[in-house]
Amino acid sequence: MRLDEDGCVTLGMTDPAQAQCGKFVHIRFKAAGREIQRGQSAATIESAKWVGPFPTPLSGEIVATNAAGFQQNILLANKDPYEAGWLIRLRPSRFEEEQAALLPQEEAFARYCEKINARNLQCYRCVD
Amino acid sequence: MSFRVVDAGTVSWLDSQVIYHAVASAMTEETEDTMTLMNPATPYVCVGFHQEVEKEVDIAYCQEYGLPITRRQVGGGAVYLDQDQLFWHIIVHRSRAPYRIEEVYARYLAGPVNTLRAMGIPAQHRPVNDIQVEGRKIGGTGAATIGEAIVIVGSLIFDFNYELMARVLKVPSEKFRDKVYQTLREYLTTIRRELGPKAPTWEEGKQILISQVAEAIGQGVYSGTLTEREQAEVQRLRQVFTDPEWLYQSGGLRKKGVKIKEGLHVHEAAYKAPGGLVRATMRVQEAVIDDITLSGDFFIYPQESLPQLESALAGSPLNEATLQQRTAAFWQEHQIQSPGLKPEDVVKAIMQAAAGEEMSSQR
Repeated sequence: MRLDEDGCVTLGMTDPAQAQCGKFVHIRFKAAGREIQRGQSAATIESAKWVGPFPTPLSGEIVATNAAGFQQNILLANKDPYEAGWLIRLRPSRFEEEQAALLPQEEAFARYCEKINARNLQCYRCVD
Repeated sequence: MSFRVVDAGTVSWLDSQVIYHAVASAMTEETEDTMTLMNPATPYVCVGFHQEVEKEVDIAYCQEYGLPITRRQVGGGAVYLDQDQLFWHIIVHRSRAPYRIEEVYARYLAGPVNTLRAMGIPAQHRPVNDIQVEGRKIGGTGAATIGEAIVIVGSLIFDFNYELMARVLKVPSEKFRDKVYQTLREYLTTIRRELGPKAPTWEEGKQILISQVAEAIGQGVYSGTLTEREQAEVQRLRQVFTDPEWLYQSGGLRKKGVKIKEGLHVHEAAYKAPGGLVRATMRVQEAVIDDITLSGDFFIYPQESLPQLESALAGSPLNEATLQQRTAAFWQEHQIQSPGLKPEDVVKAIMQAAAGEEMSSQR
């Protein structure tokens, strides 16, 4: 999740999450304008081996989706999860209250390193 | 926590999809991990979660022959399902499932694979999610996250109606359908095809599956029924799964072609060259053209050169440069005369088929 200057947030998958998911074969977004609650799915993702939701960490209104980007290249989140492969832009409706459940970048990074090591996650882009 | 087995027996086609979705969506951390078993009383067609039904299924045929169509919340392609397939669904709370999806499959496919082995079929789990016997698929599986549950689905295929499977698909041409049918016959097997009269009965197969799953997951199992909460979900989902909005939701970007098993696909595309339409219908195995049929309204002389060209291209890696080289060499060697059709036009049709494009023309 990235907090943008206009108060919206850009949501995407982390690199370990896209590696666990595998190469995308399809993604279906909830439409822009929809209000979703924290924990609800903003999109459904299908890889060659799994289908599942993309739960939002914050409640709010979907202001944009990256459907056009994925229309061009379905592997966008696999190749560039933190930039071109973003999924949803959301205008948070309860940010003050819900941000308590989020971790600042450095702390989140440290936790993720532990998770990656503990689960022996490998990025298939590097393995291929 | 023990592991519950819900043997629903023979159920309506609708419930054969609804029940496991209901168990999954009702699941909380307190719910026992569960395997549901069932087969549908009547045949039907089921499309993958993200498929567009109008693009994948011959709806008119299904309506004419009374085959209902539904959508599952698990991925993959359209399938024909009937009473000769014993569906199993393993539904576990995500907190108790392995984190990596490869490990989820390894853990929960061990039971079904060992079931086939116990019957005398040398089945193997071919990662990510195929169950194969000496290169032929005997069970497709899939996984999804539904609510708090991870769901792994598959079936023990006692018999399979290859003709109807190929017939219910919406395909670009009858040649394509024929190739799908031939490839299914060759690469998809069943318990009765493998074992003949030695095949276990339905009930025996079911009991082997329950005991092998229990052994593989290392948990005691007990025979249970659906809870009230799950039954309420069944009622709710019966409405959802028969709602045209659920069935006819849009799909979007998706590669065309039919997947037969891991690494084996049938593709088709047409390319409009100045000399006429070139249609390539082909089977691709591990990025190599396994079999190809070329057709269209172009002129080629000598006439017998077309099947020879198909033979020359079979076995070729699906690589534009290699195909160009082989086709050009064939043109030269056989002194081909083909007004308005060049070797590169054939290659374009092939590469478009491989890329999942249906039709294009020279620009």
